[in-house]
Amino acid sequence: MRFIARFAQELPESFKIVDVYDERVEKTTLSKSNPSAKSLARVYPAAIWFERKITDDFGIVFEDSFDKRPLVHHERFPDVHPMRKDFQASSLELGEFRPYKYETIGGDGIFQVGVGPIHAGIIEPGHFHFSQEGEAILHLEVRHFYKYRGIEKMMEGVAPQDGWRIVERISGNESIAYQIAYLELLTQAAGIEIDENIQKYNAILLEIERIAHHLTDLGFIPNDAGFAAALAFCSQKAEDTRRVLKNLAGHRFGFGTVRGEARAFDTNILEQFIQNLKKDMEFFKEWIVGIASLWDRLDTTGILKRKKALKYSCVGVVARASGVAVDRRDNNFYKKHHWRLCTHTNGDVAARFLVRLEEVFNSLEIIESMLDLSPTKIELDNFNDGEYISFVESSLGELMLYIHLQDGKIERFFARDPSFINWQALHLMMNGNIIADFPLINKSCDLSYAGSDL
Amino acid sequence: MILFWQRRIQEGIQTKNDWADKKLEKIKKELKNEVAKKFAGSLAIRMVDSGSCNTCEAECNALSNPYYDLERLGIYFVASPRHADVLLVSGVVTLNMLPHLLDAYEQLPSPKWVITLGDCATCGVLPKSFAIAGPVSEHLPVAHHIPGCPPDPDTIIQELLEFLRKI
Repeated sequence: MRFIARFAQELPESFKIVDVYDERVEKTTLSKSNPSAKSLARVYPAAIWFERKITDDFGIVFEDSFDKRPLVHHERFPDVHPMRKDFQASSLELGEFRPYKYETIGGDGIFQVGVGPIHAGIIEPGHFHFSQEGEAILHLEVRHFYKYRGIEKMMEGVAPQDGWRIVERISGNESIAYQIAYLELLTQAAGIEIDENIQKYNAILLEIERIAHHLTDLGFIPNDAGFAAALAFCSQKAEDTRRVLKNLAGHRFGFGTVRGEARAFDTNILEQFIQNLKKDMEFFKEWIVGIASLWDRLDTTGILKRKKALKYSCVGVVARASGVAVDRRDNNFYKKHHWRLCTHTNGDVAARFLVRLEEVFNSLEIIESMLDLSPTKIELDNFNDGEYISFVESSLGELMLYIHLQDGKIERFFARDPSFINWQALHLMMNGNIIADFPLINKSCDLSYAGSDL
Repeated sequence: MILFWQRRIQEGIQTKNDWADKKLEKIKKELKNEVAKKFAGSLAIRMVDSGSCNTCEAECNALSNPYYDLERLGIYFVASPRHADVLLVSGVVTLNMLPHLLDAYEQLPSPKWVITLGDCATCGVLPKSFAIAGPVSEHLPVAHHIPGCPPDPDTIIQELLEFLRKI
C-alpha cells in the first residue's frame, strides 16, 4: 500500500487526522483538549514532514515521533498554530530567534556546508545542509518552507468558484495540473460528469505543460554537467512551447484556462508544432546520446534504488526512473490515446534524463491523438457539501488536492504537491556522491519549492 | 558535436524571432546604449525570490534563451549580491524569507537599486495571509516595478529599459 498524504482538520468538537493511501483513506478522531496521535513515520518515512507540519499548524503532538522539530515555522516565526479555527490574525510580527538543530554527522575532519536559502542561480529559495568528508557527501538535510505563504488558510472561507486565482498560483510550473485537479474537485461537488471534449482539451494543455517542463530540464541537466549547448538548444524549444501555449490558452503558463470548457483553437498551429518538435527531438536524442563525456557525468550519479523509492513513497519521474510504475495517467482514457508508461531501472541522473526524453515523445503522441475535439462548456454552480479528493499526474508527479465544503464555503483545503514527497527522498541519492554533483542530482529531480512550501 | 555543426551549417541560424524582432531590435539597441552609458557596459542583477509561484523565475530564465540572450546587451544575472547593482525581487515577502531578503539587500554594494518583478511583489494577486509580511516596498526602497503575472520576457526587457531611463 502506497502512502500518499497525512493531514489534519479541526472540527467543532474534535481534531481529525486523515491518512490517504492509494487503496483507501483512513480517519482518526482526536480529542480537542490534549490532541496527540501515533506517528506513521517508522513504516512510511515520508510521513515525517506531514507530521511535523501538522504539529506546527495545529499543535497536535506525535508522542512516539523521532523528529519533533518544527518544519514550516522557522527560527523567527512566532509560536502560534495558524491552522486552528480560532487563529484569525491576518498578519504576524517576527518573533524571538529559536535556533534550529540540523541533522548532522560529526567527527574528526567532518565539516558542515550550508547552502541557501538564496542560491547562486535564478531559482527558488530553500536550504540544503551537507555533512562533508572532504568532497564526499555523508549526509544531506533538506530544509525548505521559506516560501510558506499560508495557502491552505487563504482558501478557507472562500466560495469554491472563487478559489481559482489562488489554486493556479500554488506552483506556477504545474499550474495547469493544479487547475485540472481543482476542476475535478468542483465537478465532483457539483455532481457533474466532465465531457470528453473538455477532458481532451485539458489533457492537451497538461501535456504541453509537461513538454515545456521536461524540455527545460533536458537543457539544464547537461548544463549542470558543463554541456551548455544542450541548454541553448532545449531552452529554445521550451520557449517555442510556451509560445504555443500562449497561442492556445492565452497565457504562457496557462493561468485561467482550465474552467470547465473546451475552447476553440487553431489545430494547424498545434500540428505544425508537434511535427517540428518531433523532428528536433529526434535530432537531439541522436546528438546528446553521442556525447560520451556527458554520460560519464550522468551515469551512476545520484542513484535512488527501487527499494528506497518504494519505501519513501516516491512519485513522478523520480519514481519511474527507479523502476516504480506510478503514473496517474494509467487509466482507460489515456491508454486510448497512446499513453505508455516510461520507466527506467537504474535510478540515476541518466535514467531520469532518459525518462523525461521519452515522455516528451509520448506527450506529443498523446496530443496528436486528441486534436479532434469540439468546443463545449459545462456550468459549475450548486456545490454539495462534503469531502472530495482528486489526483492528477503533473509534470513532477502525482498531485493530490482535497477540499471539505461546508455551507457552500471551503472549510479545509489541502494540497499535496509531488515535490513534498520527493524532497524527502533527495538525501538518499547523495550516498557515494561528491558535493559538486549535487546541483546535477537536484536538477535531475527538478522539484518545486513553491508547491511543497504552500 | 559534429552532428550539431552539420545541422547548423545545413539549416543556418534557428533563432529567428520575427514577431518580436522588429519591436525588440530598437529597444535592444537603446538598452545596450543605456547600459554602456550608466553602468560602463555591464549591469549586474541579483535575483531573489521571496515567495513567488516560480513562473517569474521561469521567465527570467527564458531571458537567457537564444531568442532573447540578454547577456549580449551587457545585462548579467550574477551569483552573489556582492557582485550586483540591482536586486530583482519576485513574489510576496513571506515571513520566513524576510530576514534573508534584508540580508541580501545589505550585501549589495552602493549605489544599489531594487526592482520588483511581477504583481505578487506588490501584493496584488494573493489575498492577505498571516505568513506574508506585506509587499516588497514595505521593507525595501523600490526603484522600479515590472508588472505582469508573470511578466513575459518582452515586458521584462522593455521595463528594464524604462528603469535605466529613469535613473
